[in-house]
Amino acid sequence: MSNLVLLLVVLPFVAAAAIYGLRAAALRSGLVMLTGGVLAVASVVLLARGLEHDFTGLPTAVLGVAWDTLITVADFALLGVILLWGLRRKSALVVLFTAAQLVLLAIFERFVLEPGPAFAPLYADSLSLILVLIISIVGSIICIYGLPYMRIHEEHLALRRSRQPEFFFYMILFLGAMNGLVLARNLLWFYFFFEVTTFCSFMLIQHDRTEEAIRNATRALWMNSLGGLAFLLGVVIAYGELGTIDMLAVVQSGSPTGVLLGALGLLAVAGFTKAAQLPFQSWLLGAMVAPTPVSALLHSSTMVKAGVYVVLRFAPAFAGTALSTGLALCGGFTFLACAALAIGQSNGKRILAYSTVSNLGLILACAGINTKAAFTAAVLLIVFHALSKGLLFLCVGSIEQEIGSRNVEDMRGLFHRMPRTAVITITGILSMLLPPFGVLVSKWLAIQAAAENIVVVTLVALGSALTVVYWARWAGLLMGSRKAGAPWESQPLLTRGALAVLCGAVVVLSLLTPVVYGELILPMFAAMPALDAAAPLEVGAGGVLGGPMGAFAVYPVFVVLVVGLLAAVLFMRRTGRTRYTHPYLSGIHVGERDAGVFRGPMNLPVTAELGNYYLATIFGEARLTRSANLAAIVLILLMMGLAMKGGVPS
Amino acid sequence: MKIALLTLAGLVLAPLAGGLLAGVDRKVTAWLQSRKGPPIIQPFYDLIKLFAKEKLAVNPWQVLCAWVYLMAAVFSVVLFFNQADLLLLFFVQAVGAVFLVMGALSVPSPYSQVGAQRELLQVLTYEPLLMLVFVGIYQVTGSFRISSVLDHPRPLLLELPLLYLVLTYALTIKLRKSPFDFSTSHHAHQELVRGVLTEYSGPFLGLVELAHWYETVLILGLCALFWATSVPGMAILLGATYFLELLVDNTMARMTWRWMLRYVWTVGLVLAFTNLLWLHL
Repeated sequence: MSNLVLLLVVLPFVAAAAIYGLRAAALRSGLVMLTGGVLAVASVVLLARGLEHDFTGLPTAVLGVAWDTLITVADFALLGVILLWGLRRKSALVVLFTAAQLVLLAIFERFVLEPGPAFAPLYADSLSLILVLIISIVGSIICIYGLPYMRIHEEHLALRRSRQPEFFFYMILFLGAMNGLVLARNLLWFYFFFEVTTFCSFMLIQHDRTEEAIRNATRALWMNSLGGLAFLLGVVIAYGELGTIDMLAVVQSGSPTGVLLGALGLLAVAGFTKAAQLPFQSWLLGAMVAPTPVSALLHSSTMVKAGVYVVLRFAPAFAGTALSTGLALCGGFTFLACAALAIGQSNGKRILAYSTVSNLGLILACAGINTKAAFTAAVLLIVFHALSKGLLFLCVGSIEQEIGSRNVEDMRGLFHRMPRTAVITITGILSMLLPPFGVLVSKWLAIQAAAENIVVVTLVALGSALTVVYWARWAGLLMGSRKAGAPWESQPLLTRGALAVLCGAVVVLSLLTPVVYGELILPMFAAMPALDAAAPLEVGAGGVLGGPMGAFAVYPVFVVLVVGLLAAVLFMRRTGRTRYTHPYLSGIHVGERDAGVFRGPMNLPVTAELGNYYLATIFGEARLTRSANLAAIVLILLMMGLAMKGGVPS
Repeated sequence: MKIALLTLAGLVLAPLAGGLLAGVDRKVTAWLQSRKGPPIIQPFYDLIKLFAKEKLAVNPWQVLCAWVYLMAAVFSVVLFFNQADLLLLFFVQAVGAVFLVMGALSVPSPYSQVGAQRELLQVLTYEPLLMLVFVGIYQVTGSFRISSVLDHPRPLLLELPLLYLVLTYALTIKLRKSPFDFSTSHHAHQELVRGVLTEYSGPFLGLVELAHWYETVLILGLCALFWATSVPGMAILLGATYFLELLVDNTMARMTWRWMLRYVWTVGLVLAFTNLLWLHL
């Protein structure tokens, strides 16, 4: 067992160092692929070994130095490095928040923390295992996709000296830190890995060192340092109340007092910053300046998932309290507001970014609803969002490298130029909003879970309607005619492979939703007595997920819709008797069938201009961002206030 | 066996009812406009004629989208007849709505593009309202399953009168009746070409038309759930509702989508919220 932990957490750190040292491209590629492969296999083996691991019997020291000491030293070193970066970037906020953490940590470690009963510093239950799988498999696929991507990326930049070693150093390190984070039981270890992800994301965002990249990276750093401070403060206060830094003891403390609820609220706020919830969304939007694999990694399998993991991990500790209700409101509001903001965007990556923040809001709303159904919805959303969003970012990255733009208007009729990528992108988009895909199953469950709280359910209903608008129009405009004999798109093998594997995984795993639920999520409820008393959802014959509230017949719906789609494709293919013609342009079209050109004034050809409704006067950032941020701040303050008032049941 | 029979009933009866309703719709509209109007079964003649026409399209995606639209509509009706989960059949119905829009967007035609954008705004307007109606049904019956609505001893209308009103708004938008017929209208005098349907013609337009009949039946089925305890009650409710729809359709002109979004969300949300609140308290 200890070997698996070594592979999942320590190997990425070692491999990253090796990648940094080796400058040969072939060796680097080999090492990245090897590490990715080992991580993926190790994560599956860990799952195969059982659903709960307490990792007792792990070696407590390495080379005569206790792991605890090592982590402490590394933690101070890391905070020191972040402080130096803060000084170098002249960011008062980074310096302030990091210095505060340094002082707080020093006082805590030196004067407050007393040796308590020993416990293994690592722990895994199904929730950790699911995240380890996502990090190790989806994260590795993204790193491997990064190999050809970064080669082309640097060709465009014409650097004198490749900066890829540094890039892949942080990418691989990120995976190790994430695995450490989701496996940590000792809260100081948890905090250390939390800070490593902050630092990795900072370095990756500023990778290209443009003025914009540096500015956005610094913003990401101060926001996440604030999160780090909230986390540490939460840990220290929780220690003051419970006298332990054992995460499980905090989660299972039962009937929390006002002070402990305040600590849990701080942990939730730390999760908010990491998950880029309103009003912290700007760092994730700014992170778009980084090369696409970074965005893919931040949005799907790492970073933001660390944020929702923190909240979801501690959520059972405050089930049924006012903090929980406040959390549900904050999450629901972010879901709605960011879905609205996404409608105003024409930049593909920004649409994806707002959609990420929005979906994370829904996950946090589910964490706040804090019932078994809601918890299930949250975990399923984490899984399927990671797959679909990872896929979509990789698609946009490939499209951008081909057409030189990330604006969705420039992707009109992409099917002509990149048929394979266009179809995969359409699949990815539809997997975010339609049945039979997993995201929709989670949404169905989320609505059912929210149905008791009319405010939250209204937020969710409005948000999911807004979601349909920005996805449907994007998928639609990718379609178009493809001339006979047009050249087939060419792509590096690794790019094509990464897209195909993720796309396949989205489809197959959607079909397996009942299995994922029955095998991984259902067993968790035994250890969560604080959640609602209602019986959890059952997996019936034919993959029917159901309870008294409703039923989603996963297999039948999947089969009917897929057969329906295949039949439709068959009808489409029988084009022998269909005549293809030009679109209707009032009878004055000229030129090619699908050029959209008509005869204008002076008999000159005019191309019909097409464009989506972006409705900037309603959904534009200039219109919404300020008031949405303000409302979010009020909601967070409300949540914290309700928490500190005491464990009043809502 | 029961499932097979109900499925068959959904497959066969729904388009018959939908087509007849379209015929009645035209007849009553003609009567309101002091015309004689076509025979009741004219929609069937029209559909047959459409299917006999040459297959014309701009690209194969349109064909795919028309078929998926039809299949999703059929599947949601089948789910309804099998008393499935309301949210589930709503999501399946959304598959069709999304594919109709995508088909219109796949063509570089200004008319169909504008129609598609407007259709999306219509979807945006009615979707949250329908969802809140389902939440109301859940709050009363304790479940999202249609079967538990049918087991409920009293008409839902008594407990959810305001949400029924909200549902009629959604119905008007979904059926694209004036003043909410932005994406495409059957009143030629206020329509630019044919909106979202511009680029569908011949048999493919026939598929879309057929799908629309299924959808009409689905929405009226949802209305019928509000007086599910008595068949005459159901008939009265549906008859009155549909007549009101026609009256509104013929007395109103197409408004703007901005007005729709603002007006329907305000009125719909206030009504829905009030109703949900009094159930909750």
